[in-house]
Amino acid sequence: MTTAVYEERLERMWRSRPGFLGWAMTTDHKRIGLLYFWTTLVLFAAGGAEALIIRTQLAQPNQHVVGPATYDELFTLHGVTMIFFFIIPMTTGAFGNYLLPLMIGARDMAFPRMNALSYWVFLASGIFVYTSLFIGQAPNAGWFDYVPLASAKYDPGHAIDFYCLGIIFNGIASSLTAANFIVTILKLRAPGMSFNRMPLFCFAFLAASWGLLFALPSLTADAIFLFLDRNVGTHFFDVAKGGSTLLWQHLFWIFGHPEVYILIVPAFGIATEIIPAFTQRRVVAFPLVAVAELLVVFIGFGVWAHHMFATGMPTVTVIFFAAATGIVVIPSTIQVFAWCMTFITGRARFKTPLLFIAGFIFMFVAGGLTGIMFLAVPFDQQVTDTYFVIAHFHYIIFGAAVFPIFGGMYFWFPKVTGRLYFELPGQISFWIIFVGTNLLFFPMHIVGLEGMPRRNYTYSSGLGWGSYNLAETIGSYITTVGIVVLLVNLVVSYFRGPPAGADPWHGATLEWTISSPPPEYNFAVIPKVSSAYANWDYADREEDRRKLAEGIMVLEQGHEQPVSAPVDGWLAEIVEMPHDSPWPILLALAMSIVFVLLLLHLWTGVCFALAGIVLALLGWHGEEPQESEA
Amino acid sequence: MLALAGCGGEQDTLNPHSHASTDIANLFWVMTAVAVGGLALITGLLVFAWVRRGRRGFGGDPDDPHPGERPAWFVVVGMGVVFPLVVIVALFIAGNWAIINVTQAPAASSTAMTVDAIGHQWYWEFRYPGTKAVTADELHIPVDTRVNLVATTADVIHSFWVPALNRKVDAIPGRQNRILLYANEPGVYRGQCAEFCGLQHAHMGMLVFVQPRAQFRAWLRQQAAPAAAPTTALARRGRQVFLSGPCSSCHAIRGTTARGYVGPDLTHLASRTTLAGVTIPDSRSYLSRWIVDSQHFKPGNEMPDFRLTGSQLSSLVAYLESLK
Amino acid sequence: MSDYAAGLRRGGPGLALWGMAMLVAAEATLFGTFVGTYYYLRFESVHWPSPGTSEPRVVVPLIMVGILITSSIPMHLAARAVRRGRLWTTRLLLAWALAVQCGYLAWATHDYVQQLHHSAPQDNAYSSIYYVLLGADHAHVAIGVLLVVWLLWKLTRGLTMYRLNATQAIAFYWHAVNALTLIVLGVLLSVRL
Repeated sequence: MTTAVYEERLERMWRSRPGFLGWAMTTDHKRIGLLYFWTTLVLFAAGGAEALIIRTQLAQPNQHVVGPATYDELFTLHGVTMIFFFIIPMTTGAFGNYLLPLMIGARDMAFPRMNALSYWVFLASGIFVYTSLFIGQAPNAGWFDYVPLASAKYDPGHAIDFYCLGIIFNGIASSLTAANFIVTILKLRAPGMSFNRMPLFCFAFLAASWGLLFALPSLTADAIFLFLDRNVGTHFFDVAKGGSTLLWQHLFWIFGHPEVYILIVPAFGIATEIIPAFTQRRVVAFPLVAVAELLVVFIGFGVWAHHMFATGMPTVTVIFFAAATGIVVIPSTIQVFAWCMTFITGRARFKTPLLFIAGFIFMFVAGGLTGIMFLAVPFDQQVTDTYFVIAHFHYIIFGAAVFPIFGGMYFWFPKVTGRLYFELPGQISFWIIFVGTNLLFFPMHIVGLEGMPRRNYTYSSGLGWGSYNLAETIGSYITTVGIVVLLVNLVVSYFRGPPAGADPWHGATLEWTISSPPPEYNFAVIPKVSSAYANWDYADREEDRRKLAEGIMVLEQGHEQPVSAPVDGWLAEIVEMPHDSPWPILLALAMSIVFVLLLLHLWTGVCFALAGIVLALLGWHGEEPQESEA
Repeated sequence: MLALAGCGGEQDTLNPHSHASTDIANLFWVMTAVAVGGLALITGLLVFAWVRRGRRGFGGDPDDPHPGERPAWFVVVGMGVVFPLVVIVALFIAGNWAIINVTQAPAASSTAMTVDAIGHQWYWEFRYPGTKAVTADELHIPVDTRVNLVATTADVIHSFWVPALNRKVDAIPGRQNRILLYANEPGVYRGQCAEFCGLQHAHMGMLVFVQPRAQFRAWLRQQAAPAAAPTTALARRGRQVFLSGPCSSCHAIRGTTARGYVGPDLTHLASRTTLAGVTIPDSRSYLSRWIVDSQHFKPGNEMPDFRLTGSQLSSLVAYLESLK
Repeated sequence: MSDYAAGLRRGGPGLALWGMAMLVAAEATLFGTFVGTYYYLRFESVHWPSPGTSEPRVVVPLIMVGILITSSIPMHLAARAVRRGRLWTTRLLLAWALAVQCGYLAWATHDYVQQLHHSAPQDNAYSSIYYVLLGADHAHVAIGVLLVVWLLWKLTRGLTMYRLNATQAIAFYWHAVNALTLIVLGVLLSVRL
């Protein structure tokens, strides 16, 4: 028995079906990650197009590029798309799915079929929401959709129903992903990877997953109440009948604030793996950074009403939330200084991924500093609902979420494709994007302070806002050019880039120990782990090679995966994983039918469609992974 | 649409004209100075890292996996925990203890008069309790007087915001939110609805005229009076057009039978300087164009375009211009 | 399974139970927001229940929920028995639990429909949150009944690791639903305090 024989057995065992059916039935986390990646790129383009039209309309006062009805749909869809259909699925669905099992030395997620279901539900929810645009009924009350504007009285028709149902539908996908990540990170780590030896990427994704799991129900409840108020005649938000307008806002922001940490914490995880690779140094103050990543999400559940400081809440309430908002800053400042000190004490190589991380730190700090200003409540009450806020959150979201995404695309491109990207166009793409985003978002601070409210489809001349808006629009076009350069670079590199090998960066984590692209089964031998930087533990890697040659911990007799204890990481059992299955896509289809029937108010049809869901679940649980093979 | 720079002031939070907004603006400048310092520090660290790129640690063992870990911990804890805490506590005290008493809702007994601001899609109705005065989009208050502004809404959430005078306050169904308007010099200040309220949220501006007390009292007396009877035949014909047509079903003119409440009160329309939420000037030509084609200026607003003959229109406009 | 695996005894609950714990966490949070909504609306209102709506009954629901939560005993015993491979004991215990749960569900459905003859969720905010909270709880009980029916059917064909894991996960689901039902009842009856 040699290494080659074991690898060949594993390859046969884990091989996917060929062709289209193989993709439709896949449960392989890498394929699912790629499906997420391409789908979110398409939706990112849609959200970007919406932004460009908005910026074109606002470039000068009193323009008529689009009218108010279209404009309201554009800014609503832009927010909904970028948050629910780009950042969350790109960080969790694409990066998280592809990389998490690799980083912990596992062969797949804890629930591979549920992972596939997450993707198909996500895709269905995207199609569902965008159908509204094509039939002229796109949501138009803003991404936070305040009542009573979003009630049936002031927004009749289907637009807000698309919003409510689409949000719930999309939330199911994210909740399933979060549950999958939590169990995977806690139970599927390679034996020996105790909780304190897992990469910081895993801490970040664990934190974001807990956040998703506990935050989404609040949004779901809110959307259910609004759907019922609009279509069944309940009175959750109807003041005349004992309901409350602010109930919507509280429930929304109880989700909405943790959501913003969910947006950026996975990106922090990406950054904290790029930094060790390009400084060849373990991250400074690792335990502090790990705890900070968990804390920022936890504390983030306690600050939501700072989005509501102008609503007339009692002063005591306002003061509490201002204080909590102050505290949530600390885990972020810890991480920023830890990263900077890693840069300085390590041997920094400013390749494209690290450039994006440097840009991320700059933008995140800029946005974070304006965020700190908001804890002065009177100041918040002056600038809330103006372009100052738009500047703040775009510096944070674009800077702290999108920059690491771009850096991560470059960083893991060799691992996923087996080829190197072209470095010079990469650096150029960074600088264009950096200049473009600063030109786009910085003037928004000024124009907001000068009184320009948000969500205005146009503005009067004579208020001094025209030249800033023009600069912002130019910045938006420049940013688009930079993103196009980035994407073209990756596409060309895919076809013509030089071969990368397994470990072009001398990276720190386990994905760099296997081939590029990885084999279907990820690891031929379940790796031995002694630290969070396993690729730098050369003795362990040597031992792995010996074990593979001897067939120890190769687990090639089924679709086998070790399960370990959540804290200490000792081996608990070996489980048999499910493989290609049609049930995830079928169940997603059944769920889609339910949501469409709800939109159309065909309540009886909904009951039948629910039966369809039950049937799909029966089919799903009818296939039990085989317990033993000869 | 015209530039209205001559018709009203700017809407600039950094050009304050009251104690409240001055305090907020000063706080902003201090915070910005600190923020610029913080950003400069981080940028400096990144630039420093770039300058010494390729060089590892600060001497010591080349195989050390954590070069400079101990001093780095000091920086992380000192600059990442202690220093930010100090800054945040200072900011919290400055922002939420020192200033908040001018920006929070005033005690009713500490104010000299009350103005009700009622948000509608898409205009502001202003009432002066204790008088019969009702007007729209243009609010007058006396200088050096503590005014209790009560914000409510007739439909969706709006937000009353005049940056030169104070922070914004939301108008929420079922609630009365209050702020203090206390201007320390006469002038005209521009404001705008600051909570997305539908199609014409962008054209829901307002003007605040701060006047010497005597002038304000004269203005208020005039506003409280019912509409003057028209003196010319043209204007009388115009009143007839107004009352017999659809106008009176949406608009009120006190002293006539018109009692509509969908659109703004027009009793003293000619005393105002702007129309349509500070979108167009209150001049004869704009008023005429507004009546026949309001959808051009404010698409989606509740007022339909009216088909009127030339003589109907000119008489109607003459009547409305008489409503001083 | 690899020889390596055959010699291992499983340490700790399987992945299915962890997955069920995640589902329970999410659903519990959802109910938490419903409960939060109930109290938020209550403390924002002058009259609660809203005028025209009567308070819920106390005695019968308390008794019925009390009976329901006893089903946790056979569910727990079934989860233990299945780990020891005692298939017939497991089936009997599950059947006992199912009988209690079905009885409760029948009463609950009947009671819910009866209440709808006297008041409707469209009356006011109180009845809106009342019917949504109670209805969501009954829905979770109904799903639990379906789960036990499915489990019993699967167990007629023998015991596998998959079905063992399923038994433990479904028992955990039922403990959660029983606790939830008790809490929901407490919330809805708190109007009388």
